[in-house]
Amino acid sequence: MSDNSANKSLTNIETIAAQATPPGRGGVGIIRVSGPLASHAAEQLLGKVPKTRYAEYLQFLDANKQVIDQGIALFFKGPNSFTGEDVLELQGHGGPVILDMLLKHIIGLDNIRMAKPGEFSEQAFINDKLDLTQAEAIADLINSSSEQAARAALHSLQGDFSNLIHQLVDDVIHLRMYVEAAIDFPEEEIDFLADENVSNSLNGLITQVADVLAKAQQGAIIREGMRVVIAGRPNAGKSSLLNALSGRESAIVTDIEGTTRDVLSEQIHIDGMPLHIIDTAGLRESPDKVEQIGIERAWKEIKQADRVLLMIDSLQDEDVDPTQFWPEFFNQLPDNMGLTIVRNKADISGQVCGYKVSHEKPTITLSAKTGDGIDALTEHLKQCMGYEGNAEGGFMARRRHIQALENAQQHLLTGQEQLLSFMAGEILAEELRITQQALNEITGEFTSDDLLGQIFSSFCIGK
Amino acid sequence: MWYQDSFDVIVVGGGHAGTEACLAAARMGCKTLLLTHNIDTLGAMSCNPAIGGIGKGHLVKEIDALGGLMAEAIDHGGIQFRTLNSSKGPAVRATRAQADRLLYKAYVRNYLENQENLTIFQQPCDDLILENDQIVGVSTQMGLKFKGKTVVLTVGTFLAGQIHIGLNNYQGGRAGDPASVDLASRLRDMPFRIERLKTGTPPRLDARTLDFSVMQEQPGDTPVPTFSFMGKTEHHPQQIPCYITHTNAQTHAVIREGLDRSPMYTGVIEGVGPRYCPSIEDKIMRFADKESHQIFVEPEGLTTHEVYPNGISTSLPFDVQMDLVRSIKGFENAHITRPGYAIEYDYFDPRDLKQTLESKFIQNMFFAGQINGTTGYEEAGAQGLVAGMNAACRVQGKEGWTPGREQAYMGVLIDDLSTLGTKEPYRMFTSRAEYRLLLREDNADIRLTEKGRELGLVGDARWQRFCEKMENIELERQRIRGVWIQKDHPAAEQLNPMLKNPISREANLEDLLRRPETRYQELMTIDAFAPGLDDKQAAEQVEIQIKYAGYIERQLDEIDKKKRHEGTLIPTDFDFSQISGLSNEVVAKLSDARPETLGKASRISGITPAAISLLLVYLKKHGLLRKTA
Repeated sequence: MSDNSANKSLTNIETIAAQATPPGRGGVGIIRVSGPLASHAAEQLLGKVPKTRYAEYLQFLDANKQVIDQGIALFFKGPNSFTGEDVLELQGHGGPVILDMLLKHIIGLDNIRMAKPGEFSEQAFINDKLDLTQAEAIADLINSSSEQAARAALHSLQGDFSNLIHQLVDDVIHLRMYVEAAIDFPEEEIDFLADENVSNSLNGLITQVADVLAKAQQGAIIREGMRVVIAGRPNAGKSSLLNALSGRESAIVTDIEGTTRDVLSEQIHIDGMPLHIIDTAGLRESPDKVEQIGIERAWKEIKQADRVLLMIDSLQDEDVDPTQFWPEFFNQLPDNMGLTIVRNKADISGQVCGYKVSHEKPTITLSAKTGDGIDALTEHLKQCMGYEGNAEGGFMARRRHIQALENAQQHLLTGQEQLLSFMAGEILAEELRITQQALNEITGEFTSDDLLGQIFSSFCIGK
Repeated sequence: MWYQDSFDVIVVGGGHAGTEACLAAARMGCKTLLLTHNIDTLGAMSCNPAIGGIGKGHLVKEIDALGGLMAEAIDHGGIQFRTLNSSKGPAVRATRAQADRLLYKAYVRNYLENQENLTIFQQPCDDLILENDQIVGVSTQMGLKFKGKTVVLTVGTFLAGQIHIGLNNYQGGRAGDPASVDLASRLRDMPFRIERLKTGTPPRLDARTLDFSVMQEQPGDTPVPTFSFMGKTEHHPQQIPCYITHTNAQTHAVIREGLDRSPMYTGVIEGVGPRYCPSIEDKIMRFADKESHQIFVEPEGLTTHEVYPNGISTSLPFDVQMDLVRSIKGFENAHITRPGYAIEYDYFDPRDLKQTLESKFIQNMFFAGQINGTTGYEEAGAQGLVAGMNAACRVQGKEGWTPGREQAYMGVLIDDLSTLGTKEPYRMFTSRAEYRLLLREDNADIRLTEKGRELGLVGDARWQRFCEKMENIELERQRIRGVWIQKDHPAAEQLNPMLKNPISREANLEDLLRRPETRYQELMTIDAFAPGLDDKQAAEQVEIQIKYAGYIERQLDEIDKKKRHEGTLIPTDFDFSQISGLSNEVVAKLSDARPETLGKASRISGITPAAISLLLVYLKKHGLLRKTA
């Protein structure tokens, strides 16, 4: 077998798909499919493979041949494409829901999976489609976009959803422990395959997955867009800033009641792209218990943010580095967190409003009260979104999670059928292994050695 | 003084790894020396007298498929054979045999003595002869030097062994043999990472003092299975049963009272023992609510009264061992012939080895067996074969080879060791394999024999038999695709009782065999389907290939997907810290493991897909992107 691999090129034998434009409500949204099955995907989605390198205006269909959207479809034959593989590009209307439906249909096709962050560029680079000098840029892109994806995944995994998933994974591990122990240690008087507990647990798991999937698909769990947290001392003008920002686009503001009494979140759109502005409690040492809780929650928001706006008073001496006069804040700030200094109350200090880089940090001077300088802030946030929001939005993260859950569900059902009809323990074990592999994509790896560890700590094994 | 002849391959150590190593090299035509400290212990089973089991049986069949000795030896020395998991699917079925130690040992020694191209010499090896970073020979205790192009070290439990019985301890190899201290200290001076492990054995008992009538008898299977693909039941000696008894509350009380003199529980032993083979004191402490533990009473042979009570390995003081043994049902009057003990020993971090088991630091030096942190004869034998074969490849100027994870448990074993290392004595389990449905005992020859033939490991007789079997399988699969039956065919009357749902439309024999409830042999009793194959192994393959077809295909697909960067080489002295964007943690993990390929790197725990991408981009940028053979 190793002889064969020597002859294989470096090209990807897998077909990958993902949204190629930044998430949000852009005017146009592009989905890219790359790999040997790109033409197959075209047939399924468009009913035909568009003529190579010609733009065609076509209807995009779902699995039931219903029209999801219409737009421009382009097909490039490898190696003359962006990635060097066969590539299909669908340019449709940019709404996240529509793009999500399209993507769902594509990755629902056999042997097409969702691309990893930065994977298209990686492929292009490996296939000599990009210059060697771009290696660093590709590396940066892979890095930043996987960090972004990780953060988006974290957001998707909030609250109930997270608890349900972790419970599900624990239960899968528990069942696997029994099934694998029965296979590897048949002489240890633990033949659980013959036991009703196994089929009962399996039933339980199948119900659980269905529950989690239903919850995930309601969409209430995930909020699309970059999360911008306003932090600062009490009375720095954070709430005024929130009002100033949301007031500008009040027509499309949706108020979302804060989950806690003192964290307030508003969604705004800049150029059609969604943005969550989160106002937090002022940070200070406080003996007041309720206030302490508020501060704790503020920190929780800060740690999950895509960008933090640190509000300080523009009466503060501009020559002093903010890290100097508030080191405790910077010590607690996660590494690599995007941070912008907002110097408020320009109307009082009389400083010039606008953007500059000061002490190596993007700094905006403004007046939340009068609205002077707010323009500069929104422009700055737009820039941030272009870069930081580049890779994966919440919809993509959620799509990954849903796909993982659907895979898991499929394999649990097959496993159940094998167990009930044929008592095929080794096949059930195989299906459970794949189930766990799918769930690992959400919760992180769990190795065969981890599983053996669970077995040895739960059963007394050993002649 | 230099010995007059020089050798292609020198194998140091005559245990199960050494045996397979020197035989493999000799089969491939290399002039081979087996250097052992004692010819009389060749083929000795230092722990329990059994070969095989789940995962381990798979390894033995693979050794056999590559022309190795272990399966053949146990077929001639086995006194009780069983197929474990026989009620489960073929992928997880495994053969296990109880051995007559003397018969097994005699067979191995005889085989070694008659192997062409193999010279055996008795002298403890106490030094290695290096030229720069290359090994060129070894020297023995009496100063005799042997020149060798390659050296395979298989010095197992003997490396700086420390035996514990109660709070007493002394240097030793397995009880009764000396520890190889000189060689151990010499190796400690080299740039290897060395750790300590521990393992243990139970006290042995005199069968004449046991009451078997109160124990549960455990006979072997009938028909009696064989290990080797070339094996026949006629090879087996007389078959006898094993017995099962249990510990009880009194046993547990005795052990608890003796714990203050346990080397394990007083901190005298530092080495890490296996999680899956705990001592009896461990079992009782860790699973306090379990009232009883099984003991398998295994005969050591046909001509000895000694038995091996498997399940009560212990390092408690001898007086406690006496009391605990005699508290057990059937053991009330037991005489202990040898006390149980724990042994601590050195092992070398196997992450310092290449996939071929050659040292990353010293050229032409290979490591195999317990020295790499494994436990078990089967794990040792498998590595021995791979190391011996790769040493021979080096001598012959051929590219080395190790089966992949998708090809053999041998591949899983060596990939796990050289990629992840081990913290406890490593033992094979089927759950370690991703492709369990492909890696079955029954198809070990189909997976490996052809490659073995190409390498020169497989002799004519085996090759001929293999080709015949493959042809039988192919012809029969063609035949049964062409045998059709309609629902109103007279044979349907015979057929329908064998089916869950009677046939409703025309079907061929393959369709019928795909149904989980049908059996090949049973279907062949129907005249319209006969004649079935007389070749039982081929018939079994036809049935399994058809029944597992969907799963086999899926696993093959999965393998294909993983192949992408599996063999992409990472330069040996690669500095991972050069790659910007990798976290310190990832750099540390990669620098520790020094993976040879991107595939290996991706299996290290904590190495993310993004890290692999960054590595790939870096290799590409610096023109280092090449595939292995």
